[in-house]
Amino acid sequence: MRSVVNIYTPLKGKIEEARELCPDVKLYRVRVPKEVHYYPGQFFMLSLWGYGEVPISVCSLDDTQTLEFTVRKAGFVTSAIHQLQAGDTIWLRGPYGRRFPLEMSYHRDVVVVAGGIGLAPLRAVIQYLLKERRKVKRVTLLYGSRTPDGLLYREEYDTWRASDVKVVLTVDCPSDGWRGNVGVVTTLWHQVEGELREAVAYVCGPPVMIKAALTDLFLLGMPADRIVTTLEAHMKCGVGKCGHCYNDGRFICTDGPVFTYKEIKEWDLTL
Amino acid sequence: MKGWILPKNSLSYWLRQLRKDSDLIGPLRTPDGDIVFESVEKIHEIVLDPPASLPSVKEFFLPQYETVFVFKTDTVRPIQEKRKRVIFGLRSCDVAALRLLDRFFLDSQPDPYYSERRKNTLLISVVCNRPDPTCFCVGIGAGPYLKEGFDIQLTDLGDRYMVEIGSPRGRRAVREYSFVFQRPRKTDLEDQFEVQLSSTARFQQRINLEGVRSLILSQRVDEGFWQEVANRCIQCGGCVYVCPLCSCFTVTDRVYQEHIERVRLWDACLFKGFTRLAGGILPNDAPVSRTKRWFYHKLIYYPEGIGGFGCVGCGRCAVVCPSKIDMATVVLNIKRVSENAVSG
Ligand SMILES: Cc1cc2nc3c(=O)[nH]c(=O)nc-3n(C[C@H](O)[C@H](O)[C@H](O)COP(=O)(O)OP(=O)(O)OC[C@H]3O[C@@H](n4cnc5c(N)ncnc54)[C@H](O)[C@@H]3O)c2cc1C
Ligand code: SF4
Ligand code: SF4
Repeated sequence: MRSVVNIYTPLKGKIEEARELCPDVKLYRVRVPKEVHYYPGQFFMLSLWGYGEVPISVCSLDDTQTLEFTVRKAGFVTSAIHQLQAGDTIWLRGPYGRRFPLEMSYHRDVVVVAGGIGLAPLRAVIQYLLKERRKVKRVTLLYGSRTPDGLLYREEYDTWRASDVKVVLTVDCPSDGWRGNVGVVTTLWHQVEGELREAVAYVCGPPVMIKAALTDLFLLGMPADRIVTTLEAHMKCGVGKCGHCYNDGRFICTDGPVFTYKEIKEWDLTL
Repeated sequence: MKGWILPKNSLSYWLRQLRKDSDLIGPLRTPDGDIVFESVEKIHEIVLDPPASLPSVKEFFLPQYETVFVFKTDTVRPIQEKRKRVIFGLRSCDVAALRLLDRFFLDSQPDPYYSERRKNTLLISVVCNRPDPTCFCVGIGAGPYLKEGFDIQLTDLGDRYMVEIGSPRGRRAVREYSFVFQRPRKTDLEDQFEVQLSSTARFQQRINLEGVRSLILSQRVDEGFWQEVANRCIQCGGCVYVCPLCSCFTVTDRVYQEHIERVRLWDACLFKGFTRLAGGILPNDAPVSRTKRWFYHKLIYYPEGIGGFGCVGCGRCAVVCPSKIDMATVVLNIKRVSENAVSG
């Protein structure tokens, strides 16, 4: 047995930009000292010494030395990350996990379904689809948030729309002046043009929303292996060792976090 | 003829030689009468005929608490234990468990801490001549003696040990001191065979995990059964801690005046917070889902993912569980309940 490299050693990254997207969510652009190749759907363990490590999806595309992460202040480690500003150091290791099967969208309509912070990993998907825009047919984004303030990446919607992405927004609690839809994202299926049966869907959001969206899409005729989602679980290692994310014979971190509905149909996602 | 003979009065000489460049670990009796694996100072204090249900040696590969990184003034230093070790006196089931953990920890994305310790450790296991009432390794192929997978396997033949070699590391440890070993005679092999037979015959429990696995897979064990098991579990985590195959850990940072340590420690899937998500969302909130997780992992998924049951039949969970819902008991209950269901 030879000595092995330490897979847990994080890289030292430098925050180039920390931008508040909404009260509890910040976007970080992080520069890393060596090239890192990653793909939509994968995640990194962001690490702050003295606080710990948390799995965060990469929300940008391609640039091998500058990566973007969107972090919601959710607890101990993420609150500490929220204290960081441009110029500060953040440690990270990855990428980990399975990618979104994006080739599947070639020559098909694509529906991107997001709830709240769930748009973060899907932003990378949208960027990918924009890059490969000619290869995919109609692209619809159905995005729900609790409040209009909570909608992420608002300044990017125009770019997306300019590339012929239909962006449909909905909120649970409208504020004055809100002109979009009200209600959960699963009330928006009629906004998708074309046959859902022939389309591909990428879904991410809170567990209840994921569950509702997957079931709906399936009942509306989309084949279970073309409905793709990404799941959240408690993770301490990211590489299938710590056991926390283990579910039903699979490690969410290494066998997922991206799964097709077909693979997880039996799971109770809101357990 | 295969194997070697080590006269018992040469054992301490051999161990003393092996200890020259290694830490010698063996079963010792504490003042309270418990037996624990510890670093051996005086070789004659090693308990040569301990009960089979010794503590497992898991902690020498996956310590209960270990510092994995030290962070100080902007630099990160991994803490890798390089110390060489010889573990003497562990049981076949423990060796079998380590072979499975090897696959889990080393086959893909090898864990550097486990890997380093495994690489630096020589295992000298001893065949169980007298299994405990709680032992059931025999039905799983994890004991009382092994055919392969060990470094060095000793069989107690009274005044001498039969020594079998199972790895290059084991071969070196014997070859270097070949002058204390003798070639076995035909009668030695006959004696060894005798010991194997009599030990195998002594098992009080015959447990067929394969059969139980099929019962579970064919939906013959209902939710009510697991609910009853879960109702009895007080979630002390004892079974997880003593099990040589339970390897889940958590990681946390400890802040000191001058530095920060990232430590990893044993965790247990039976604990409520094990899967807790940000914001306090608790998957597996119901105790029954955690109980099922433990048994399903060992009986269903371990064989699928690792290629062997997540249980080697060491019986330790039966010794610690205050609620009598250890692996053997539950498995035997599953059999009884489903047989009754068929006949009734
Ligand atoms: C694959 C994946 C991708 C993700 N992508 C994103 C993303 O892009 N953006 C985003 O905002 N979120 C994302 N998340 C969710 C994010 O990882 C969690 O919000 C984050 O882990 C919360 O950590 P926290 O410490 O701030 O929260 P807390 O609620 O404080 O803790 C989170 C976890 O750590 C444990 N924990 C808490 N305190 C301790 C302690 N003292 N010692 C040991 N353990 C403790 C808890 O049991 C809990 O499971 C993703 C999650 C996964 C699995
Ligand atoms: S489940 Fe129980 S009997 Fe089986 S290996 Fe673990 S502690 Fe031993
Ligand atoms: S030892 Fe028994 S009571 Fe304790 S956690 Fe394990 S099964 Fe539950």
